[in-house]
Amino acid sequence: MNERVARCSMFVTPTNPRFIDKAWTRGGDVYILDIEDSIAPAEKERCRRLIRESIHKASKGGASIYVRINKPFVDADLPYAVWPGVDRIMLPKTESAAEMRHAHEIISRLERERGIPEGYIELSPMIESALGAVNIYEILTAVPRKIWSQGGGGGYDMAVNLGIEMFADFDQYAFPVANVALASMALGIEATGGVFVPNPSGRVGQSDQAVKQAEALHAAGIHHAGALHPAFIHPLVSGLSPTPDEITWARKVIDECTRLADMGESVGTLEGKIIDEYEYDMALRTRDWAAACAAKDRFKASALSRAQAGAQQQG
Amino acid sequence: MPRYIRRSSYPLAIEDPQLAEKAYGSWADAIILDFTRRADRDWQQDLKSRMPAAIHDAARGGAEVFVRINSGAAAAELESTIFSGITGIVLRGVPGAEDIQKASQCLDALEQDRGIVGGSLEIDVEIDTAAGVWRSLEIARASPRFGTFWANEQVLCKNLGMSSDPVLEFEPLEYIKSQLITVATSVGGQAQGMSYPLSLTQEDTGEDELRKAVRRARDTGFKGAVCPHASWIKACNEGFRPSPEETAHYVKVIEVFAEGLKRGMASVPMDGKMIDVPVDLRAKLYLEWARRAQARDEEKARAHGKPAA
Repeated sequence: MNERVARCSMFVTPTNPRFIDKAWTRGGDVYILDIEDSIAPAEKERCRRLIRESIHKASKGGASIYVRINKPFVDADLPYAVWPGVDRIMLPKTESAAEMRHAHEIISRLERERGIPEGYIELSPMIESALGAVNIYEILTAVPRKIWSQGGGGGYDMAVNLGIEMFADFDQYAFPVANVALASMALGIEATGGVFVPNPSGRVGQSDQAVKQAEALHAAGIHHAGALHPAFIHPLVSGLSPTPDEITWARKVIDECTRLADMGESVGTLEGKIIDEYEYDMALRTRDWAAACAAKDRFKASALSRAQAGAQQQG
Repeated sequence: MPRYIRRSSYPLAIEDPQLAEKAYGSWADAIILDFTRRADRDWQQDLKSRMPAAIHDAARGGAEVFVRINSGAAAAELESTIFSGITGIVLRGVPGAEDIQKASQCLDALEQDRGIVGGSLEIDVEIDTAAGVWRSLEIARASPRFGTFWANEQVLCKNLGMSSDPVLEFEPLEYIKSQLITVATSVGGQAQGMSYPLSLTQEDTGEDELRKAVRRARDTGFKGAVCPHASWIKACNEGFRPSPEETAHYVKVIEVFAEGLKRGMASVPMDGKMIDVPVDLRAKLYLEWARRAQARDEEKARAHGKPAA
């Protein structure tokens, strides 16, 4: 439900009960069921067989569910990944349009077979190599599947591909991350990256780092981020939602611009600031994002309440 | 990982009477030969008569040898400079893919005429204009001969209308450098360059500063640098490769991860960090990179009649 709102997407390991059984209590907008790098080769088959029940477990708190498959095992993984309740398939290390088309065809067949509206499941290429970064536009336009948000161009695999150590105190991915973000936005897809936040320690469980990341992303108008640790969930979910002040300002701008338009004007001032069509557009975006976040939060609260009641009955 | 172990490229003029001594004593991985067109005689004939000896002199210390060519006059300059012993060319002033394709066709013919293995000569590209940056992807894809981008930042800054004095506190060409590195890597090539501000000042600086600059250049994604001074070469040879400490670390990573896999684990703790598949892959690639760098050092040591350090 409401797959557009993915303020915090966190990877969970279906084979580890400690992670998968508690995911619904953490408050994330999205859980990514991983069959790729967090799963040992000998565990892949068991993990595939756990995906279907993991969808139910991880989504009990109202989160959307993505599944990350393996690039070398697309044909083997997808039949275990495409089920009702899955919102997105993540295709790692995508480098070409052909890879997208291949996965799209399999997903389409499985959707038909399993009673899922054809084209419902998003297919998101993960850009983790230089080749993927330069081919991003053709990758994103390869198949007709809608995706709400897209990021990539950095991360560990990209570092390996570029032959660099991660966690320097400067932006090592200036071009690939920006290229992915710009291509996405040019296609009307919300960008999930594009802002460098220094993290020389490389640690992934510090909530203060999450707060800094959320502030930087928020300032850049980016609403989505990934996480590897539950400590990131709350700072990202709250930090990437519009603040009450921003919502109030947006309402005022919309009201004033509407009043100006009725008078045949396109530029005016509000509380000492010039407002024009660009401010109006920003205000509409803030209003829409606030509404989407509120709907997602209501949905999660309702689902969490039901799940807690169910857990109490079982307990 | 680097396609080439080319950590230090040292430009020398073929007119330099000390070319042989400088090249041999530099221990550079590559020598870039520059030349001047003599106005007082037939410059092509002059070059043709001198290039074979210059190539031989430049290669004596085990370096690969390149010749720097002006893209606008590539056909005539290639005809005058390409002889056996050359690894490739560095094209400067390249505005687009067409120049690469034309140069590649010239090299096809010259390889056939001069007993050089067909398709073996490499084309490296010095990026010194906005057009070159903008078309970097089509340039890199223009020929399978493409090997390396080199950002000539002093010239590029002038082309962009920027000061080439290092007056800014931040790296002004960060995005462009990242673009060249990404594009080159995407076609299996690599990029060489230095970090700011040394990339602009080109100073003969102290060893500590130089080592830090090389480390930052390596962390940016460069696999080597063009060295304006012989004093840069040692730091580049040692810095543009995994250090002995990194090598020891990655040996341990591979051992620890292999043990974890035997126990069915995909993620194994080591020294407070988690080791997983990508870390293991990086470790293997880094060890291969270190092995190839060591082999290159041994190759040069043999050329100098010395054991490898």
